[in-house]
Amino acid sequence: MSGMHSITLGHYLPGNSLLHRFDPRAKLLSLLIIITALFLVNTFNGMLFFVFFLLVAFFSTNLPWRYFLRGLKPVLYIVFFTLVIHVLFTKGGQVFWRFGMLTIEERGVYLGLFMTLRLILLVIATLLVTLTTTPIAFADGIEFLLRPLRFLKVPGHEIAMMMTIALRFIPTLMEESDKIRKAQMARGADFESGNVFRRAHSLVPLLVPLFVSAFRRADDLAVAMESRCYHGGENRTKMRQQQITALDYLGVLTACGIAVAIVFTGV
Amino acid sequence: MLIETRGLSHTYMPGTPFQVEALKRVTMSISAGEFVGIIGETGSGKSTLVQHFNGLLKPTGGEVLFEGNNIWTGEMNLRGLRSRVALLFQFPEHQLFEETVFADVSFGPRNLGLGGRELDERVRFGLEAMGLDFSAFKDRSPFQLSGGEKRRVAMAGILAMRPQVVILDEPTAGMDPRGRRQFMEQVSRLHREERLTVILVTHNMEEVARLAERLFVFYHGEMLLQGRPADVFGADSLIKDTGLEIPPLSELLQRLRRQGKGVRTDIFTVNEAAQEVLQLYRKECV
Repeated sequence: MSGMHSITLGHYLPGNSLLHRFDPRAKLLSLLIIITALFLVNTFNGMLFFVFFLLVAFFSTNLPWRYFLRGLKPVLYIVFFTLVIHVLFTKGGQVFWRFGMLTIEERGVYLGLFMTLRLILLVIATLLVTLTTTPIAFADGIEFLLRPLRFLKVPGHEIAMMMTIALRFIPTLMEESDKIRKAQMARGADFESGNVFRRAHSLVPLLVPLFVSAFRRADDLAVAMESRCYHGGENRTKMRQQQITALDYLGVLTACGIAVAIVFTGV
Repeated sequence: MLIETRGLSHTYMPGTPFQVEALKRVTMSISAGEFVGIIGETGSGKSTLVQHFNGLLKPTGGEVLFEGNNIWTGEMNLRGLRSRVALLFQFPEHQLFEETVFADVSFGPRNLGLGGRELDERVRFGLEAMGLDFSAFKDRSPFQLSGGEKRRVAMAGILAMRPQVVILDEPTAGMDPRGRRQFMEQVSRLHREERLTVILVTHNMEEVARLAERLFVFYHGEMLLQGRPADVFGADSLIKDTGLEIPPLSELLQRLRRQGKGVRTDIFTVNEAAQEVLQLYRKECV
């Protein structure tokens, strides 16, 4: 029935903070600058500065921290994996622990912690953007940033449109798959037990209807777009014209300033 | 009591900004062999409620009992429960996936571990209960059937499990009037002849007033009213506060009654209502 009972993590949360009002183009640009800086930094002091900066940014948004932390959950596996790999396989420095072939050495621990922190900060920075930007504004931002690539024949508008459609249909398809899963469970389907092959096989009753319905929706959408004479990006005007304000310039400049400062002090 | 809920509550996505309290402390019971209707406007919690009856949703508060046993504690086998309390979702034709009608209808019974003659019998029963000829349909692809046929095949797939209870979530949404009538007639026959317990979730007041023995009215996640259709749709009922309309026949008879005419207002079939109005006409105008 109604309602979205399963929301994807990193979903936009309405609000009125500075970051919410930040122009999406400027916001994405700032994100790119921050991420680049995050990859250039290689001292702990530089990282701590980032932690401080992102904390300030986070508290300025008034986002519920519990929900925010939940958004970090899916990447924790990757983070943990990175940590383990670094700790076990990077050699150098003092040896802390040895078991047969496996050793834990100073350099490994250092690099492991460093990479972990880098990954987490990367996700936090990205979440701060996706949680404060509507999908449409986000796609507009992407389209704008892809514009310089036009002379390489990169179809910026089409890419942005595909993104918008994909984002729009994530909750719909999740709801649909939830419904089909329940409908098949009501007919005694078992998605949880058995070995890998049995489980893969048990997904057929879920995947076939899901694909059929995705194609049906795609078809409906194509007809709806065509009947509104949609024909791509050329000469297309926007319903919401984004106005770059002094505040947005200031935001990007701040991001640049922070990045430059960190890169020069923290490399 | 066959199915019972005690203080049943359900909150979607608790602890997030998207938290929704869909059901609030619902206590109700349904006996074996009953035909009950569950009505309420969109978002009133009807669908959430019925998904608790066969353990597809776990209550966030209160309990659900089947034959007196809490389905979430002890030895209750949920898959076993689901074969006894079958649920047909809205637009069930979207769940078809097999290459032939036979394979699709037999999905439920096969999950129960059935095979051979028994399986054949079950599929035949399901299809024929829905008015589909076994030999004509069994080898066809479910994707090439008409919308109405697809829906019957989906219903046949539920019936082939030979459940005690079927829960139908708006089973006739989007069907034409004739298909709708036939579908409900078949359900109603199963109720009479096989003593099938039917729980019907619907927006169609006329249909539910005519078929159900008892109604539960939901409003914003709470059960506001329960009782016989005649009481629920009666003149002094709270039903209009819930955003629901009473069936056109009841509306007509109640208006006549308000004008001081001596007509019965507990009638839900066109034929009986016509008789009633005709009698009134003969009495007053001839």
